[in-house]
Amino acid sequence: MSALDELRQLRHGGVQVRKRDNKAAFWFLAPWFAGLIFITVGPVLASFLLGFTKYNLIQPPKFIGFDNFARIFSDERLHNALGVTFTYVLVSVPLQLACALGVALLLDRGLRGLAFYRSAFYLPSLLGSSVAIAVLWTQVFGAEGLINRVLSFVGIEGRGWISDPDTALSTLIVLNVWTFGSPMIIFLAGLRQIPAVYYEAAAIDGASKWSQFWRITLPLLSPILFFNLVLQIIHAFQSFTQAFVVSGGTGGPSDSTMFYTLYLYQQGFSRFDMGYASALAWFLLLIIAAFTAINFWAAKYWVFYDD
Amino acid sequence: MLKGVRRRTALTVLVSLTASMLAACGSGSEAGGDLTAEPVTLRFTWWGADDRHKRTQQVIDMFQKKHPNITIKGEFKEWNGYWDSLATTMAANDAPDIMQMDELYIASYSERGALLDLNEAKKHLDTANFDQKALATGAVDGKQYGLPVGLGMYSIMVNTDLLAKYDIPVPDDTKWSWDDLKKIGDQVSKAGGGQVFGVQSPGINDTAGLSIRARQQGKSLFDQQGKVVLPPEIATQYWQYILDLSKTGVAAPPSVTIEKASAGLNQSATATNTAAFGFWWNTQLTALTAASGAKLKLLRLPGESQGKPGAYYKPSMFWSVSSRSKHPAEAAAFVSFLANDEEAAKILLTERGVPANLKIRDAIAGQLKETDKAAKEYLDTVPVSDPPRITPKGASTLDAILKRKTEDVLFGRTTPDAAAASFIKEVQSEVDAAK
Repeated sequence: MSALDELRQLRHGGVQVRKRDNKAAFWFLAPWFAGLIFITVGPVLASFLLGFTKYNLIQPPKFIGFDNFARIFSDERLHNALGVTFTYVLVSVPLQLACALGVALLLDRGLRGLAFYRSAFYLPSLLGSSVAIAVLWTQVFGAEGLINRVLSFVGIEGRGWISDPDTALSTLIVLNVWTFGSPMIIFLAGLRQIPAVYYEAAAIDGASKWSQFWRITLPLLSPILFFNLVLQIIHAFQSFTQAFVVSGGTGGPSDSTMFYTLYLYQQGFSRFDMGYASALAWFLLLIIAAFTAINFWAAKYWVFYDD
Repeated sequence: MLKGVRRRTALTVLVSLTASMLAACGSGSEAGGDLTAEPVTLRFTWWGADDRHKRTQQVIDMFQKKHPNITIKGEFKEWNGYWDSLATTMAANDAPDIMQMDELYIASYSERGALLDLNEAKKHLDTANFDQKALATGAVDGKQYGLPVGLGMYSIMVNTDLLAKYDIPVPDDTKWSWDDLKKIGDQVSKAGGGQVFGVQSPGINDTAGLSIRARQQGKSLFDQQGKVVLPPEIATQYWQYILDLSKTGVAAPPSVTIEKASAGLNQSATATNTAAFGFWWNTQLTALTAASGAKLKLLRLPGESQGKPGAYYKPSMFWSVSSRSKHPAEAAAFVSFLANDEEAAKILLTERGVPANLKIRDAIAGQLKETDKAAKEYLDTVPVSDPPRITPKGASTLDAILKRKTEDVLFGRTTPDAAAASFIKEVQSEVDAAK
């Protein structure tokens, strides 16, 4: 057999293998596809249609045109919920990313026991949106909670942080900032990618640590920062569990923890107004899409790609 | 999906046209027909705590022994999750056959055609021994959508141990006014030195207090048609009173009040012995006595002797049957067993309220604990007037709106005046939106 034949056969066989692989891949993916279609795509399409109806979960939906969407603009409680959500997103995400970057920079200096610290800082983001942590939060920030005990040592009289509308949202912001682990891990990976030669060259030229950070680290890390920013903003807009558990499902006190998603949920399941809830879900999609688009547009001006 | 919708439409028409209810697939029985001998499985759902689950399961077992062909599958949850999940199972056309229903939601469900008119199943469901006024609370337009299980009355619970400790006499509740409560509460707060307060603020978990305020002055929250007719000045007076309690230190500071009230019965000011007077349902006496470890006594609400009596019997909950149940006759038979069987009653006792079935109430009298007896005696002796209209369809968010307004007032985000006006407006728009 000539070398050419051998090659031909090999290639031929390779195609067959690939075809077989495709079939197998299809079957392995089938459960996921089924889930995608029945649990995600189907309901998403249904919710789009329901957004144009009055639907109380029990009687058949009635078509009412754009009424639900028009209501979005006159619903004062929704506007308050939007205010709460925007505050939450715009305050907690930058703080969270700053913490993530700060800790990543510390860890990147090659501490002993790095793996331990990395896991320790990462842990909260695994637990952060869980019910257990939200319950813990109500204990920590309660009138007789941990925070107030610490404060009483230094002679400051605390308050029920979660049950006071002036501070309730802040506790949720702190909770979100605390879960900086996953962007931190991504930052760490990004920092490892920056070639050490840049720093060596800068050091020889006499650049301070500070200007090394601003002129080398930050520009080279900007794609990672951008990625984290987009992801965390979307994530923050969708926050639900923390507010639901901490406020006992009410969004209180005085609607101060009424996240958009929580309001949507209440419309659907407490007020039996699934049509409006569906419209709200699509409106949230538009908001998130707008924020993401702005992010991508702004990225042109500050994100630096090395390659 | 389309098919499901069409079937549901057809079903709604069917219900409104024919008095007898036919099940969705035509394979089920009629509510007025005979009990089947075939094996039947019924789903039964309720909310509550552990104690209730144990007692209810025992009663289910007793019923299954009497009807070997009927299997009852119990599903239980806590209050909040209960209503979310009931709403979703209804939407999925998968509602349980028998459900524990609340006054707040019964109109919202029944007027949307989700509940069976129990009169259709009269053959299997005996209501002869029920207090007629109580029975009426489960009826909408002459149709019996819920059978009241137990009755409760809104009341004041006073911690007599605390009063004794501060040497303050227990007030005479047959004469006292709202001002008297404020005054004696102030004495307690002064003696309590910032640790114990006079009154656990009302207006957070229950609309009954507002309703009774209105009733004492001959008014009500809703008229018979379900329109909000609460005069704004009464609502203003109600929130002004709450604000005064907070400002004068008769009640704990707002954030403490809200935290304790939202954390459930066991963390409440009454249960933690940090307030001498609290607004509760009389049937909660046993649970609160257990939680606080102190001696608690039931008092009439203030103001009952100055105007008309505002107190009334509130059905603590109802038994309802789904209009889509495939076995309405068997479901009704089970409800009848829960409501009329003396052996079952001896297990259930007053855990779901003082029984609305008068015969059963007498039958279990001998078995009651001290606190249960006190709750029953309160119900038997305190004067009441006709109950208010049940919460109209759409207004099941009533308590949530009240709580939000109280928070707004307590934290100075709005005035009692403005809270009253916006409360009335908001509740009315909820009722209108559900039409």
